[in-house]
Amino acid sequence: MRRPPSSSDADRAAAAPAARHRGPLSKIEAPARRAQARAGMLALLGGLLWPMQAALVAWAVSGWLHQAPLSRTLWAGGGFALLGILRAVLDDLGGALLFRAADKVLAEQRARLVARESLRPPGGAGPSSAELGAIVAQKLPLLVPHLTRYRPARLRVMVLPLIYIALTAWFSWAAALVLIVAGPLIPVFMALIGMAAKDASARQMAEIGDMNALLMDRLSALIDIRLLDATGRSAADFAARAEGLRARTMAVLRIAFLSSTVLELFSALGVAMVAVYVGFTLLHQLHFGAYGGLSAGEGIFLLMLAPEFFQPLRDLAAAWHDKAAAEAVAEELAGLPDTEPPVLGQGAPAAPLPGSLHLRLNGAAVERGARLVALPAIALAAGEAVALTGPSGVGKSTTLAAIAGLARIAPGGCLEVAGQPLTDANADAWRARLAWVGQTPHFLDRPLGENLDLRGTGADPGPALAAARATSIVAALPDGLRAMLGEAGGGISGGEARRLMLARALMAAPDLLLADEPTADLDPETAEAVIAGLRALQAQGTALIVATHDPRLIAAMDRAVALEMPI
Amino acid sequence: MTRLIHIFRLIWSAAPRAMARGALLSVAVLVFGAALLGLSGWFITATGAAGLAAAGFTFNVFGPSAGVRAFALGRTAARYGERLLTHDATLRALARMRIDLMRRESRAPLDRLLRLRGASALNRMTADVDALDGVALRLVLPLAAGLITHILAFAALAWLVDETIALWVALGYLLGGALVLAGAARAGFGPSIRAERGAQALRRAVIDMGRARTDLLVFGRMAAQRDAVLAADAETRAALDALDRAERRAGLALSALAALIAGGALMIGGALVARAQIAPAAAALGFFTALALAETLFGLRRGMAELGRMRDAAGRVLDGAEAPPPAGAADAPAAAGPAVLAARDLSYRREGAARAVLNGLSLELAPGETLAVAGPSGVGKSTLLFLCAGLLQPSDGDITLAGRALADWDEPALRARLTLVPQRAALVAGTIRDNLALATATLDDSAAWAVLGAVALDAVVAARGGLESRLGEGGAGLSGGEARRLVLARALLRRPEVLLLDEPTEGLDPETAAAVLRGLRATLPRAAILTASHRAAELAWADRVITLG
Repeated sequence: MRRPPSSSDADRAAAAPAARHRGPLSKIEAPARRAQARAGMLALLGGLLWPMQAALVAWAVSGWLHQAPLSRTLWAGGGFALLGILRAVLDDLGGALLFRAADKVLAEQRARLVARESLRPPGGAGPSSAELGAIVAQKLPLLVPHLTRYRPARLRVMVLPLIYIALTAWFSWAAALVLIVAGPLIPVFMALIGMAAKDASARQMAEIGDMNALLMDRLSALIDIRLLDATGRSAADFAARAEGLRARTMAVLRIAFLSSTVLELFSALGVAMVAVYVGFTLLHQLHFGAYGGLSAGEGIFLLMLAPEFFQPLRDLAAAWHDKAAAEAVAEELAGLPDTEPPVLGQGAPAAPLPGSLHLRLNGAAVERGARLVALPAIALAAGEAVALTGPSGVGKSTTLAAIAGLARIAPGGCLEVAGQPLTDANADAWRARLAWVGQTPHFLDRPLGENLDLRGTGADPGPALAAARATSIVAALPDGLRAMLGEAGGGISGGEARRLMLARALMAAPDLLLADEPTADLDPETAEAVIAGLRALQAQGTALIVATHDPRLIAAMDRAVALEMPI
Repeated sequence: MTRLIHIFRLIWSAAPRAMARGALLSVAVLVFGAALLGLSGWFITATGAAGLAAAGFTFNVFGPSAGVRAFALGRTAARYGERLLTHDATLRALARMRIDLMRRESRAPLDRLLRLRGASALNRMTADVDALDGVALRLVLPLAAGLITHILAFAALAWLVDETIALWVALGYLLGGALVLAGAARAGFGPSIRAERGAQALRRAVIDMGRARTDLLVFGRMAAQRDAVLAADAETRAALDALDRAERRAGLALSALAALIAGGALMIGGALVARAQIAPAAAALGFFTALALAETLFGLRRGMAELGRMRDAAGRVLDGAEAPPPAGAADAPAAAGPAVLAARDLSYRREGAARAVLNGLSLELAPGETLAVAGPSGVGKSTLLFLCAGLLQPSDGDITLAGRALADWDEPALRARLTLVPQRAALVAGTIRDNLALATATLDDSAAWAVLGAVALDAVVAARGGLESRLGEGGAGLSGGEARRLVLARALLRRPEVLLLDEPTEGLDPETAAAVLRGLRATLPRAAILTASHRAAELAWADRVITLG
């Protein structure tokens, strides 16, 4: 059935071209618009000074041919230098404006990204930490060249060449024709090359990410690689990747060089043709195109305008490549998943939530992608110890995350802590009463002492280390508590790293400890130490919720809650 | 500065012929540019004069006009060739540097390997190497090409125009340029170092934020980590601001310098014309050449402002580059004896540690024998294995393999005879086959399935989709126990005479553990096996047990 055209359709049609330009890059760029416009005006002013400089030189040279007094040359030379300095000052002012605006955009984008990624739920769909590092430190700065160059260059292209053509045509329509023919070919080439450049930039970005991921992976396996005498093979692998990056970068550069060569060719040929045409006209061997002849001064003027006619076009072409790179970055940013709800609260220090512990989880579920993970019903009083059991993937870790406010309960479910529903407003205060022991230890790029005391209480870690049977581990480290450990605890064994993580939890003296498989992959003795540490904690009145398969650990808890796969 | 010279030599030597051609072309670009504008100015002025004198028919127009076209085309072609050659050669050199760094990193002492923070090593191999791309492209080549061009221009101007103009142009550009560029280098030195270090600190802080997300959130430290990231960002941007200012100042000064020199050349030329010492066309040649020569300086300001960053990065990239590869004799038949591996009076004390980990330990191991080392955590079992694998050097005592001291073996020969599966053996992203292929260059399917069968992993791999099924970063996708069995299978592919195992069946249920241990021995019946063990199953499997501590 046909609908009569409505006014809203017409509106939409009119809005369509505008919408097409509202790409991710355009949104990022918006705050810099004003500075870009003002810098563009400064650049225009600078561009208008050049014809005056050219006129001064032409005036001086024609004076030489007509035996004018020396003072004319001196005036011209002095004026030329002064105007040149003025032009440089205008460029500098514009550059300062643009840099400041671009810097602000960069700061904003980083702050936004960091705020969002820091509150992304653990196990969410975000980028890997190495990828995120590359985006923040390596790729976002690629926006800056685009922000500082593209729009001012575009403004200059729209104005200056027209003025130069008009000035040229005033003296010679033939010389203007040379420029008119060569000029419009440039945008055509740019459009063709720009499309290729964008693809090449995107592939280069991807290759940078791949190489970083491969490197990160290989660097963590260096010992194995050495033990397997695979250094050569692994290096060959990596060499292929490094070579791939070179090839991709070269592909981007080749396009950039080709486009600038094409433009330079037009520009050089334009200059050469103007010079030759002017020369022949001056010799009276050509008799067209100049309204009855040229003087040498007019010839010099035309010669000096020709390269500047092409300059804005060449600048814009160079900026096209910055734009291609910036668009690739903007699209990657826009492609990061951002629909996931963040964790509750801010992850900031807070005064502990008052009231007795009482935890109640009932009829709750958590969205994981398209799936809804049902959480078990749990009611926990202060000092109680509960084991969560069940097959892998049933939702034990998700349950712990939800209790810590790191996963949002879907509407309809109930999670009460200390007698009130857990919300964004009280999540930080609630977490101030918690501690966490995870499955994979990670040490921050800080001394061990700070890693043990993440809340920064300044307390003596001695008792906690003793309770976790970790005193000897620290004693054996050359720098003790000042030691910088590898990120997964390199320099100590896996069991030792686990005991240090337990010491960290003990040091926090929490009201509730959440532990995710604290004894998985541990030898019986270390597992025993961990279990003893957990019991010591319970003896101090701490409640425990432990996700585990380990029968010894399950036995050490007051009761077990079995999670079952939905059928 | 020696560091940068060293780096330049590395870059040059990666493709010396391409670089040499590129360097020649970069001189050609500058010379043709100056010649094009100078000749055009001369041509127009000279034809103007001839036209006035009505001497048009005696003027040879074809030489100069052909020259103008030739310089125009030549300059364009030279520019394209120069960029392509020098960039390609530089990128090749950088790729080679990355690979060398990787090799060097993998030869580093065990202590360093264990503590290696992936993020900082990653920085060294990516950001630091990237920072060096300008050493040839933005510093040495344009500097040399600019100097040569000025020498040529001086000679040409002195010959074709006048010594005074030639001297004015050469001195003006060389002295003024040196002053401005030295100023840029000084003003940019500190900021460019701070900007690069700040960016690397930023990356490390972001990686920490992602890796330790749960810990940071639960312990209320995420806000502080966010602040740390933003502080690194602010520091980086402040340095970049200072750097940009230095670069812009240099640009301003260079533009002003060029305007002054060209304006001056115009005045001197006018004065010489007024005194009838040179023709107007020659004066025009002088002015236009002076104008075109400004190009020799502009390309240098970025390189000069970033001198500090390059030098700093060069220091980190070259750190340890001089260390010779560890010496050792090639594989040679060794004294035959009953013991394939023997340790005598072995002691080990970590540098700076208060107490020794091992103290006067001796042991002997015959082919086909299984020896288990037992004892509580931290007693030095893993250390003993690292010592036997040659990754640590004993403080006292010695270890022999096949009758020869461990230190006398060269690396490939040692690794061919002896394999260690450390407690935290790592897998890499890629397929199951990729992971097994780390052990051997020639992996066929039957050998792969045989070792997978030996560690009772064949059914698991088949269910996942065979050897081509993919694993994530660090082998993600396999459970702890499956990953453990895959690294054991990988070690079996080496077919070592001595197999060192650190808690081989950690994370496996008792039945699987027993099957895996049976499979290990069945695959390597003649190997001497030394295992650090807690579990009853492993201790029962061993022929002998010694207890430490």
